[in-house]
Amino acid sequence: MSKKVITREEWERKLKDVKIRKEDMNKLVMNFLVTEGYVDAAEKFRIESGTEPDVDLATITDRMAVKQALQSGNVEDAIEKVNDLNPTILDTNPQLYFHLQQQRLIELIRSGKVEEALEFAQEELAPRGEENQSFLEELEKTVALLAFEDVKNCPYGELLDTSQRLKTASELNAAILTSQSHDKDPKLPSLLKMLIWAQNQLDEKAAYPKINNLTTAAVDDPAV
Amino acid sequence: MPSSAVTNRPEEVTARLGVGGGAAQGEALLKALREVKNQIIGNKTKKLLYLQLGAVPKIVSVLAASVASSLGGAGLEDAPVIVQAAAAIGSFACGVEDGVRAVLDAGAVPHLISILSHHDDKVVDAGARSLKMIFQSKMAPKYDVLQDKNLNFILSLLDSDNENVTELAACIIAHSCETNEEQKALCDAGVLQRLVSLLGGSSNQKDACLECIKAVVKDNSEVSSRFSCIGNGKALKALSDLIQDRYPYTRLLSCKCLIAIGHASPSYVEELQIKTKLVLVLAELLEEPGRVGDEAPFSLKKLIADNEELHKQALSINVIEKLCNFLHMSSIQSRRLQGILLALSELCSKLEKCRCQLLSPQVYSLNLEVRVLDLVIDSLEHDCAEVRAAACICIRNITRSLKDRLQNLSAGSLSNEAVVIRLVQLLYDPSSSIQLVALGALCNIIVICASRKSVLIRCGGVSQLVRLSTSMDSTLRLKSLSVLRNFLFLANTTDKECILKELSLHTLVSLLNDAEHSIQEQALALVNNLIDGCSSVEHIFTEKCYSLILDAVTRQLKQASSLGVCIQGMFVLSNIAAWSDFDKDSVTDYLIAYDDNHKPSLAIKFLQSNDKSLRLASLWCLLNLTNPSSAGSSRRVTKLQTAGIIFQLKSMLNDPCSDCKLRLRMVLEQCTEFETSQP
Repeated sequence: MSKKVITREEWERKLKDVKIRKEDMNKLVMNFLVTEGYVDAAEKFRIESGTEPDVDLATITDRMAVKQALQSGNVEDAIEKVNDLNPTILDTNPQLYFHLQQQRLIELIRSGKVEEALEFAQEELAPRGEENQSFLEELEKTVALLAFEDVKNCPYGELLDTSQRLKTASELNAAILTSQSHDKDPKLPSLLKMLIWAQNQLDEKAAYPKINNLTTAAVDDPAV
Repeated sequence: MPSSAVTNRPEEVTARLGVGGGAAQGEALLKALREVKNQIIGNKTKKLLYLQLGAVPKIVSVLAASVASSLGGAGLEDAPVIVQAAAAIGSFACGVEDGVRAVLDAGAVPHLISILSHHDDKVVDAGARSLKMIFQSKMAPKYDVLQDKNLNFILSLLDSDNENVTELAACIIAHSCETNEEQKALCDAGVLQRLVSLLGGSSNQKDACLECIKAVVKDNSEVSSRFSCIGNGKALKALSDLIQDRYPYTRLLSCKCLIAIGHASPSYVEELQIKTKLVLVLAELLEEPGRVGDEAPFSLKKLIADNEELHKQALSINVIEKLCNFLHMSSIQSRRLQGILLALSELCSKLEKCRCQLLSPQVYSLNLEVRVLDLVIDSLEHDCAEVRAAACICIRNITRSLKDRLQNLSAGSLSNEAVVIRLVQLLYDPSSSIQLVALGALCNIIVICASRKSVLIRCGGVSQLVRLSTSMDSTLRLKSLSVLRNFLFLANTTDKECILKELSLHTLVSLLNDAEHSIQEQALALVNNLIDGCSSVEHIFTEKCYSLILDAVTRQLKQASSLGVCIQGMFVLSNIAAWSDFDKDSVTDYLIAYDDNHKPSLAIKFLQSNDKSLRLASLWCLLNLTNPSSAGSSRRVTKLQTAGIIFQLKSMLNDPCSDCKLRLRMVLEQCTEFETSQP
């Protein structure tokens, strides 16, 4: 059974018929900015578009301060800030707390403070492993970094990437959002996922102009 | 005073805490408090360390002093100190039992309660959060809601604008509301209405309110009905809407609420429609990660308990497949595994279709043909006691099948032995509740299939069963005796001899004379199975054995402690009455004997029973006694005649039970034969 073919002209005609409200798009953008914690951008966007954020921008400021501290490698500061914001968060999220302690160790190793790092690993991380066996594997990986001269190129070197900081920062951000009864995920990525899913479904039935590049949203001609 | 660098070692920090003496003040005190707080949050080891150093009473004294000074209008400086102290106290109470105890002992609660009405929101938040931590612990004191003053206080908290405070109120109520009286008091005070209106708030508030509602309505039919009437059913509708909430945990909590209401006052949540929806929602929640997926099977089990219609619904939406898929996972959390096994047990408790599904081989990943039953059998060896117990219950329910299904269990000889061996291992489990469930499962399995019986003997199962039959715990005695009874059902002579040897005459007789009549009944049934199929006493007992046993049997018949005992006893006599003339004579003598003029003989008494099974058993006995092919039957008929038995029989010609009527006619026919041949 051959698939139905939809030409570019047909496709664009169909797309034209779909009406999307500007307010909805603005809300999506605002939701993204707010969830990810971009306060200044959210404030500017509010002024320009007149879209009201669904949370008080002041609460975002606190959250942003935490995220920034973590992203600049200042884990202790981030912990103090989140404890000021809501002391129950780290008490009720053992995995998050472990990751923060882990990040502290990574930062100590990065700045070459080997002695301090060893002491910290012994005093702070080892007990985490004792309290909860599921942390042991990650703990071992992190502590293993101490055994290498050239840390950046050793087996677990990726732990030193900034991407690791971002990962932890994201986890922390999500926990704060949950404690404030907000969605921890912005809606925009879900919509993109749905787009990809819908295209995959349609692939089985038709050949049509497809978006293969999400960043440009360029539409490729249907494969015949 | 020598200046020393301020360090953050716990001992040093603790030394700076407190009121007066060597303690720090002002800014330094605030710093010390913050330091403790930041060190202990998330860190169990540090919490324990500070506990040992006696930090808690010091912090509470700081809190008390600051609160007093704050109330006296002393100043805004107190607020930060109160916030830090409260936060530290709350953290001590989180996840560490000793911490909760220390916090309670130091008298923190009244101070924390007093700051709930502070003008500074941050202070209120701190107090509310800490109190919530405390009241989430089982060790926290119950708040006496029966006292008006307390009830009013809780209501004022529920009316607050601050979500931390309303969540706290919900938490306190859920923790403190246990008795029906307390639930009613809360209901009367309008707590439920307020909670329902709070369901429109943020998701954390929703969840707290749902847990609270459930605690107030649970097991209380009056309160549950009143809940269903709130807003003419609007409250119920609100709950029903929440089972479609975007957050899985909220969906789970609202399901639990509806299930609790449905159980307490069936008429309101009776509609199959809502219950079917609940089955669907819970079936989906089974696949959620974390605590939602762990708890969902327990709620599912509660929902469908004893409801065959709902079992069928669950079956039709492939709940069994969903549950079984988890059994294949190599690492599954114990709690979830326990829940899944219990849910499967519930589904197998009534429907044959479910049991078949679990018994037949199914193909899973890696094209391995595995039976779910085998996975359940594996769980019998799990580290966690609750999982082992749940696996037992599951096997017990799966094996409730018809005997021919049980034959299918032999397919796969490995599991044949494995299941018996593992169940016997559980007979040694330190927990008696696990022993009981293992016995239940063995009871079903052992009935048929000679190979399983031999496994039981070989692995020492019989010895352990006999040991348990002399346990102090009467339920263990009863259940182990049931297994032995089932073992002896249609057993061959070798097996019978084995049991007798292990059991010993002494034990058997003492079981026949047991204080509990349910145990007497099982012992009699066991004797029945022993003598069943024998044509004379020598086949199974020595003469000494036999007379002791017969004595015990007849004694119990005379005492007639329960209907079951009488029926089983009569079966024993019926069996014996099929033996030799001598045996028949002894039985006849027992039946017609009476102590004095007022008490009727056993035969008369039983024939006059309201219970048809007892009448029938007696008739069978008489049938055997008056069997024409036996030489002494004629003189026995005369004896029966003299004792008024024949007269009694004739008066029963219109017995409502057709089986009885039939045997009755047969007995009378046999007796009349002898009467007419009287010279």
